[in-house]
Amino acid sequence: MLDRTANSLQQRLLESERLMGETGCYDGITELRLRKEDPLKFETLHTKLRAYCVSAREMARRISASPGVREVGEMVVAIYTPEGDAIALSNGIMVHVHTMSRFIKWMIRNGYEQNPGIRDGDIFANNDAFIGTVQVPDVMDVVPIFFEGTLVGWAGAVCHELESGGITPGGDVCLAQERFTEGLFVCAEKIGENDEIRRDYVIRCERNLRMPIYWVLDEKAKVAACIDMRESVKQLIGEIGLGYWQQLSKEYIEEGRRAQLARTRQLTVPGIYRGHTFYGHVTEGKPGFQPLADPNWLYNIPIEMEITSEGKIRLDFDGTQPWGYHSMNCTPAGMDGGMFVTLTQHMNFEGLVNDGAWMATEINIPHGTWTNPDNEMAATATSWALLLPAYGVFQRLLSRGFIARGFVEEAFVGQVNSPMIEMGGTSQYGSGFGMAHFECAAAGSGALAIKDGLDTAYVGWNPESDMGNIEIWEQNMPMVYIGRSIVPNSGGAGKYRGGCAFISTWLINKTDHLRLVTSEHSSRVFDNGGMCGGYPAPTCEKHHAVRNSDIFERAERRQPLAHGPGTDPLVSDFERTYEGEQVWEEGPYITRPHKAGDIFSHAYNGGGGFGDVLERDPIKTAWDVENGFLTREAAGKVFGIILEEDADGYPQADIDATVARRAEMREERLKRAIPVSEWIAKESERVRTSDFAPEVAKMYRSAMKLSPRFAKDFKEFWGLASDFAIAGEK
Amino acid sequence: MTGYSKEVINDLVNGTLPWPQTRRIMSAYKDDDRFFKYLAVLQDRVSWSDPILLPVGDHLFICDSAEGRITRCECGHSFGDYRKNWKLKALINVRNTEESLREIYPNSDIPDPSWMEIREFFCPNCAHLHEVEAAAPGYPIVHDFEPDLEGFYRDWLGRPLKEVA
Repeated sequence: MLDRTANSLQQRLLESERLMGETGCYDGITELRLRKEDPLKFETLHTKLRAYCVSAREMARRISASPGVREVGEMVVAIYTPEGDAIALSNGIMVHVHTMSRFIKWMIRNGYEQNPGIRDGDIFANNDAFIGTVQVPDVMDVVPIFFEGTLVGWAGAVCHELESGGITPGGDVCLAQERFTEGLFVCAEKIGENDEIRRDYVIRCERNLRMPIYWVLDEKAKVAACIDMRESVKQLIGEIGLGYWQQLSKEYIEEGRRAQLARTRQLTVPGIYRGHTFYGHVTEGKPGFQPLADPNWLYNIPIEMEITSEGKIRLDFDGTQPWGYHSMNCTPAGMDGGMFVTLTQHMNFEGLVNDGAWMATEINIPHGTWTNPDNEMAATATSWALLLPAYGVFQRLLSRGFIARGFVEEAFVGQVNSPMIEMGGTSQYGSGFGMAHFECAAAGSGALAIKDGLDTAYVGWNPESDMGNIEIWEQNMPMVYIGRSIVPNSGGAGKYRGGCAFISTWLINKTDHLRLVTSEHSSRVFDNGGMCGGYPAPTCEKHHAVRNSDIFERAERRQPLAHGPGTDPLVSDFERTYEGEQVWEEGPYITRPHKAGDIFSHAYNGGGGFGDVLERDPIKTAWDVENGFLTREAAGKVFGIILEEDADGYPQADIDATVARRAEMREERLKRAIPVSEWIAKESERVRTSDFAPEVAKMYRSAMKLSPRFAKDFKEFWGLASDFAIAGEK
Repeated sequence: MTGYSKEVINDLVNGTLPWPQTRRIMSAYKDDDRFFKYLAVLQDRVSWSDPILLPVGDHLFICDSAEGRITRCECGHSFGDYRKNWKLKALINVRNTEESLREIYPNSDIPDPSWMEIREFFCPNCAHLHEVEAAAPGYPIVHDFEPDLEGFYRDWLGRPLKEVA
């Protein structure tokens, strides 16, 4: 084994990777010696490390000024080996545990030991996704941990910033089409020495951000967390000895790797799993988008997952779309991070959760696709738009394995996008401002295989979901809530329905200039799926707003107000209630500024359903209707459940009538459906003549160009000649 | 070692186990004898006697049969060789008009049918809806799952399957 004190970090990293390649075990740790010697000590010390992380994060959240961090918990911290592999981590936005690992390794590989130097008390920061993060608002800080002159590890912390100074306000900069419009970049920069953030760095932040108080105080919070963890680790090493620590930290990661393999073998079935989802990107006619490419784009996201007999999970994104001049591209760091956060939620629910789990996986992200752009000028500010649907597919693939194996309680239809609102302009206090509204961190989840999904209580990127308090949001933006309610039918239909989403409606207040921009909002297609007969959630909701509304006059006349757009997709309650200019917008909301008296509403997404709708419990359905999770119309039309009213006027299921109606619906299904072979014969003519919308045809051309396998599978399925090409522009 | 009775597994699978108990199962170490108890629960549920080897959906199983290893609906309908995509032997209904999409999404915004369609795969015998695909027009039907059945029984369960002709 390498002498851990005499060699450079770079040599140490290379040697660690060589040992992994040679032995198949992390850093060549083929035996968990310390664990074997004293398993209780082994576990106890890991619990201590985890406690350091959790307590450092909680402390730091109290320093932050950002409601994103304070209220919603958009932060994570972790402790790393000198080579940058995570040993222990806190709760929170765990996607970044592995992206920070990439950041540390990047600095090591790029000779940071020589210049700018890595010394005790240094602070390094990064938000460049091609170095190691997901998107520009995810700003990470790491500090080295030295013990008696030897680098023994790193402490790291990430916060999602609510404002990053891009072309549009907020953090998820929807309008960014290249990195140069995403905002303030800090590219693996030494931002402090001797435990103090440099004044010139703070000045740069103050002069380049719309709301620097969030970013700057978050920096202080993160540095405090890192120092707290660093001092705790140093104290621990003082107690257990340096040599013990160096062996122990490596064994934790190897244990994590082995545990992941064992858990895959315990919970799933080896084989090939496949799934896909789509995302619609529509910017045609929207102001601000430069004509750098086709304005509309349909993304296909096919995923093949192999579970090997060893228990290794291999994910393959072959066949997906190229990167583009939009903000939804993702870097390898983001793709790895998405994999990591999904594993922590679904498989690493016990034992040592660390980078070892990630090491038990492999991922193929084809160069040139949105998953791995071959141009580092590509923007990634809203990479979650594609990342979340993609890892929702991964969750469904894993769940197929859980169902096959009998662990039905773990099967989960998956995460969905939760569209964000970014805003800026003049605040209610008369000052300039910018922020992201983070109530989106409480979407509906996909259904489980044994129960309905969680309502307004889940997002994929942060398992500790929270929508924050209305009063706190109102303190930070020039809008007041006039409604926040469940969106009926927003969970995908099924035996178990997806969790429902909520919708908020605001009155713009005390400002004459409020810019509202939304992101991660699929247009024209659903970006999620159901499972085992469940339907996808309706995730292409449109925006409704009213400019120059008569709400104040109505209030003065004591007339009723509309607190949301209602359940008629063709005519909203706003149109029925308010005078003013009615706005109806699909996809990203980006229009001219709003002012006081305007009304704006924004819906989040629910999750996909599980199982056949005709098996849904009528009693639960009556409860859903009574409580606004489902409309009476959907209960009858979709689920075949006949509802009557009880003596008090509440919905009550008529079981006999429901059974009869469902029998009819089964008959109708058989009458209406045709054999798949017939459908393929008919549909292949459409494919042969490329009778598709231009965006669909373009999607096929792009996928076939980048993936010979996709092209081959497509042609084989439809019985097309090997030289077949989709008609139209090449 | 954690373990549960067949009755508990039955209630869990049926979604009828009380939530506090379900929650405890979710939080506990996993029970290593789950798989065969699960198969026994499912076997009791079906009216046919061919042994279930692996569930692949909510009411869809790979089982041994006189015609070899097949994918079978809970009602007994055979979709043929388990290595082939069962969907190709199913009935399909495609929702690719606003009117037909509205039937499932009466109060929500719906996809543009020229960008996305909803495909429903039914059992031709009992009309059970086994799977739904949301896909662009022209997208090949996906083969969801190709388990390594033999490898699973041999290497992971330690109970190799009998050779089949």
